[in-house]
Amino acid sequence: MIGERLLLASLAAFWLPAPIVAAQTTSPGPRQSYDQLLQAAETARTENRDGEAVRLFRRALSEQPESEEALWYLATLFYEKQQYADAQDALRQFMTLRGDAGPGWALLGICEFQLKEYSRALNHLQRAMSEGIGDRKELAKPMLYDLMVLLTRFERYDESQALLAYGEPDASLVDPAGLSGLHLPFLPKEIPADKRELVRMAGSAVLAVQAEQYEQAESGFKQLVAAYPNEPGVHFLYGAYLAQRHPEQASSEFQRELEISPFHVLARVRLAEQFIDQQDFARALNLAREAIQLDPKRASAHAFAGEALIGMGHTAEGIKELEFARTEDPTVSRVHWDLMRAYASSGRKDDARREKEEMEKLLRPESPGVPGNPSGSSHGPSGR
Amino acid sequence: MSALLPTLLLSLALANSSADPPRFDVVARQADDARNENRVPEAIRLYREGTNLHPAWADGWWYLGSLFYDQDRFPEAAAAFRHLLTNSHYGGSAHAFVGLCDYETGRYDDALGQLRAWAGAGLPGTQQLRDVGFYHFALLLTRNGQFIESLALIRSMVPRVGDDPAITEAMGLASLRLRDLPENYPAELRERVWLAGKATLYAQQNPAQFARADDFAARLETRYPNQAEVHAFRAMLYGFEKKPAEAEREFREELKISPNHVPALIALGGIDLQRGDNAEGIAFARKAVAVEPGNVGAHHLLGRILLANGDLARAAGELEIAKRLAPNNPPVRFDLAMVYGKMGRTLQARAESDAYRALRRKQTRTPSADGSSQATEEEDAQ
Repeated sequence: MIGERLLLASLAAFWLPAPIVAAQTTSPGPRQSYDQLLQAAETARTENRDGEAVRLFRRALSEQPESEEALWYLATLFYEKQQYADAQDALRQFMTLRGDAGPGWALLGICEFQLKEYSRALNHLQRAMSEGIGDRKELAKPMLYDLMVLLTRFERYDESQALLAYGEPDASLVDPAGLSGLHLPFLPKEIPADKRELVRMAGSAVLAVQAEQYEQAESGFKQLVAAYPNEPGVHFLYGAYLAQRHPEQASSEFQRELEISPFHVLARVRLAEQFIDQQDFARALNLAREAIQLDPKRASAHAFAGEALIGMGHTAEGIKELEFARTEDPTVSRVHWDLMRAYASSGRKDDARREKEEMEKLLRPESPGVPGNPSGSSHGPSGR
Repeated sequence: MSALLPTLLLSLALANSSADPPRFDVVARQADDARNENRVPEAIRLYREGTNLHPAWADGWWYLGSLFYDQDRFPEAAAAFRHLLTNSHYGGSAHAFVGLCDYETGRYDDALGQLRAWAGAGLPGTQQLRDVGFYHFALLLTRNGQFIESLALIRSMVPRVGDDPAITEAMGLASLRLRDLPENYPAELRERVWLAGKATLYAQQNPAQFARADDFAARLETRYPNQAEVHAFRAMLYGFEKKPAEAEREFREELKISPNHVPALIALGGIDLQRGDNAEGIAFARKAVAVEPGNVGAHHLLGRILLANGDLARAAGELEIAKRLAPNNPPVRFDLAMVYGKMGRTLQARAESDAYRALRRKQTRTPSADGSSQATEEEDAQ
């Protein structure tokens, strides 16, 4: 955990202490009482008289129950003291008043992570991401870490890996990257003892890819495969890496993964992609359909089924699959590209134009869309 | 002084009959406006004022509770919803919300009681409330040791919710008979819970995906061959798959690791009874009764084996204990009717037979999420 005092100083600065300045004036009435209490509480806090500070912030809140300042300071104080349940309670009241405060959602999510309320923590950390937390690096690091490990625990591996791009790869991310890469829905502390080395090796290789240190990554993946040739997830991870760097070598790794994990959906999807690249549409379609049977809503499986069908001349059927893929995940530009071409070849000019516009929208730099292909390989080495 | 009185009364009457609506009406309208316009703090303030002015204002308590609940402010939400527990319109759903709030504040026994009351009221509410309610109800049943009931409840959500990690985790905990909640089970159990949960989830799909379930179950068994509950879980899965020989083998493996595993003892005793090996069966049943004297399934099994052995008096004794423990369990009443019949106790036999038929009829009408069902408690033990 990062230095708590440092974080508190940064978080406290989130609130502009105008009322504290105002407290130095001496106007009579309840506002003065509230301001004086807030001033005294802040003084107690900075002098490390935490118990006194908590008492005074609470008194200030009894004067003004909707005081955003008092709730925020109280929450950060509890957070600093690792009293996460109390911090959570104050933050919930604060967020009722300030639903737009990204740092508040972040701090609330981090507290909930500590309290093992993982589902709620994930929602609130995602809310923090969408609201933004400004330039608070001290908050960004634990927030991204918690978010990444929670996305993995909730089996949202692609999104977890996409977060790697937000921060500098460092040693603390080895386990989260390894878990995400191997599709193991555990928190780092939940890794079984006999899988720690496996996860560490996988994570180091994934982080090397992220840092574009490909020689190190390649060597890491080779060591991983040699050490754990029969472990579920290992060959898929290596195959996904090879599909980016040496596509001609990827198929055998995906096939090996299917021997070990016969119900592996993504190995089928990525293998289907390989066959489409080789114009072997029949085999691609077969694999994509197997993937759909296992995971009926998997957008990428429908997308490759659509591409294969169109490649085989079954345009109408292919369009249906692509449209399903678009509905499930409208952020994949390749699907819009496929649909644009399929509509155009079917004489559906308006539909084709709409898809072109959607694709252009997604490819703009500020767009959250995923450029490239529906397997999401741009998300990292083990994408969807 | 007395001369002033008529003037005062007149002015009061004029004040009351003025065109301004009473304060409560104004507040209620403003509260609704604030809520509809998503001005949450203001809406909360106004509903608080409105319910202070008019404590019988059910809509006010409902919206106040809902606003707090949506903000995760559970103690305040519970306090508001509690005002509605006896309300004819909101009462059923209010039980669900109070139960959910009690869960979130760690009052788990109270939460289970409230959710049972919700089930008793016919599970009213939106689909969203039913999903959240069922999920937490199931977790609490697991915590209470009612694993089969818990699994039945979660299973009812699977077609709609699908392959959801929270559902997987809930199924894993119940399948491994861990009386823990997702937020408090030990980290070292995570892999086991995940593997068991996935296996159960795929076995419960419609149509069942047994091959896929077996893939996860095999990984669980390979990884943890000497851990308690793993073989019993595998046996249960084989039971779903209608593979009795494999199920028996796994139950016997479980007994090597956990000699007092009551569900394994009862299952093996039942298998013995079916094949006529009553010597081993009665030993299993007696051990199950000794380990868990309050287990309905254990007494029921022992009664059935004694009946098969012709020991009618002792069979009646065991079945009567089972009946005391679970008076609403149809198979117990059926077997008791049979024993009484063989003993020539015709009136009692008829009474048990009638009770059996009535319970069966009632069961077909009862909602599946009735957490108070005694019959399922016995199935749990079996």
